[in-house]
Order: sequence, then structure tokens, then C-alpha cells
Amino acid sequence: MYNYYNYPQNINFEGENLRNMNYQNDNLYNPYQGLIRGNMFKNLYQPYKNEKPYEIKPMNEQAKMLTDLDSLEFAMVDLSLYLDVNPDDRRAIELYNKYRLENEELLKLYQDRFGPILLNSDALNNMPWMWDNRPWPWEN
Amino acid sequence: MWKYVKKLEYPINITKKDLKLAKSMMAQYGGPDSELGASLRYLNQRYTMPDEKGFALLTDIGTEEMAHWEMIATMIQQLMKGATIEELKANGLSGYYTQHDHANFPIDASGVPFTTAYIEATGDYRADLESDMAAEQRARVTYEKLINQTNDPDVIAPLTFLRQREVVHYNRFKELRDYYLNKFKG
Repeated sequence: MYNYYNYPQNINFEGENLRNMNYQNDNLYNPYQGLIRGNMFKNLYQPYKNEKPYEIKPMNEQAKMLTDLDSLEFAMVDLSLYLDVNPDDRRAIELYNKYRLENEELLKLYQDRFGPILLNSDALNNMPWMWDNRPWPWEN
Repeated sequence: MWKYVKKLEYPINITKKDLKLAKSMMAQYGGPDSELGASLRYLNQRYTMPDEKGFALLTDIGTEEMAHWEMIATMIQQLMKGATIEELKANGLSGYYTQHDHANFPIDASGVPFTTAYIEATGDYRADLESDMAAEQRARVTYEKLINQTNDPDVIAPLTFLRQREVVHYNRFKELRDYYLNKFKG
């Protein structure tokens, strides 16, 4: 669907790919489908008035990449809550770690290109100090 | 300790001003079942959970609620962006303007200031978790009432996300409560 010029050859984080990942557990949505529903677990999804989930429509390259990052981080948040109460589920732990590693790579690519979103980013080794840079999360 | 991630949990980009909805949305910023209340409630109750499952779940849900509080703050800021004094007055926000102008302040939809009496902690896992389950249900229904007050998809999308998170949190608390009831029975 689109390419980030600096994505490594061996890892394909393209949005289309992220939306069709084939290794997920049958009981779970993929990270993007989970994000737009607010829920990774199919059995817990109870939409209000049977509304369809709203697609996220990123306006630019940065927003596209951020949506992929949001998707992976959301998958991690929701799986971690499940694992807190179900710490013996091997498949969920494997899936959590799959998303964690992808998130780690994507975070680095995103921050190298668009600036820091964490205070341990390599992007902070620049003059001037980049943490202040806009936009802040509430700005549009 | 906590670390800040300089992004929202779910993207928000509201471009249409809606002051009446901003006022209603304060229910989730500083009301009894607000995201602020939820976050403080779980982060404060976690110390007296019976074991590590409770410590972990209340820490992680409490942390996520703080991210939701930031989402509500963002929605209120964007819904009120550029509002004039006249517009604020015409939409029931003259009192708000007088005291807070365009600042965010944790009050409920009727202007009642946030109080720690909302956050409840008994030291009893069953009382606390069942109260947390009920709090999630009340927050879910509040989101439904907020969704009923708008037809702007840029607002409905994040509200449906937040609403479904309440459903998931409710089920995790229930799972934990059931696990403890079984563990400590007899």
C-alpha cells in the first residue's frame, strides 16, 4: 500500500501487511483490527448499537506510520491485561513477544524519522533538544 | 515509576467545535466515573490486592486509564478550540469561562469538582473489585450517552474505542474476582 523509505528489506511493516498478519490466534483480531475496535479478543467485542468500527484514515506518511505503531502498542496493552490474569498461556506470551519485537523496531524507525516520543530515543542526541518539538499529542 | 509516551493511545483529530458536547464530556474528565477517578482508584487499590495477579492487573489498567484521561483532555481541548466568550456563554460555559477559561479542569458535566471520595478503597478484594466492575459499567453507559449527543465521526470513533475498553476492563476485573473467589473459597 505504501513504503517507508527506511524500512529494512527483511521486515515488512507496510500497513497492508500489518492488517493481514496470518500468525494471529483465531480468537484474536490483528493489531489494526483490534485498535479500531478497542479490543483484541473477539469474544469480548460488544459494539454499541451494532456499529461497524471506524477505519483510521491517516492524512500523511507520519500518521500512517503512527497508526501502525498505535496498532502494535494497543495489541501489547490488551494482551498484557489478559496475561496478568492468565500468566500460563504460552500462545499469548508468544504473540505478545512477536508484537513487542515489531514494536521495538518500528519505534526506532519512527523516532529516527519523526523525532522522539520516548525519553530514551536516539533522536535526543541532537542539537537543539528535540523533546519539545510539536505537535504534542493533544494538538491538531 | 512511570514513563511518558508522547502520543495518544488512539488517534484524535476533531476539527468541528462543539461546546455543548465539551461540557458533557467533562463527566469523563472529572466526574465520579471519570477516567481520572478510574486511574486513581485502581492505582490506589492495588496495594491491598491478595496476590501478584491483582497487583499487575490494577497497575496496568490504572496506567491505561491515565492514557484515557489524556484522550478526554484532548477531545475537550479540540471541541473548545477557538471558542469566543459569546459562544461559551451561549453554551452554558460562562461559569467555566470565568473560573477556567480554556484550561482543562476536573469537574463533572454539571460543574461539580472532582473529589477523592469517588475513588473508593476498602482493603477487601471482593468489595474493591466488584466496585471496579460497576465503575466500568457506569463509564461504559456514560460513553453511550456521549455518543448519543453527536454525529461527528471524528468524535464517535475515539468514544467507541473508549467505550469498548470499559467492556474489556470489566471482563478482566470479573476474571480476577472469580479467580480469587475460587482461590479463597471455604
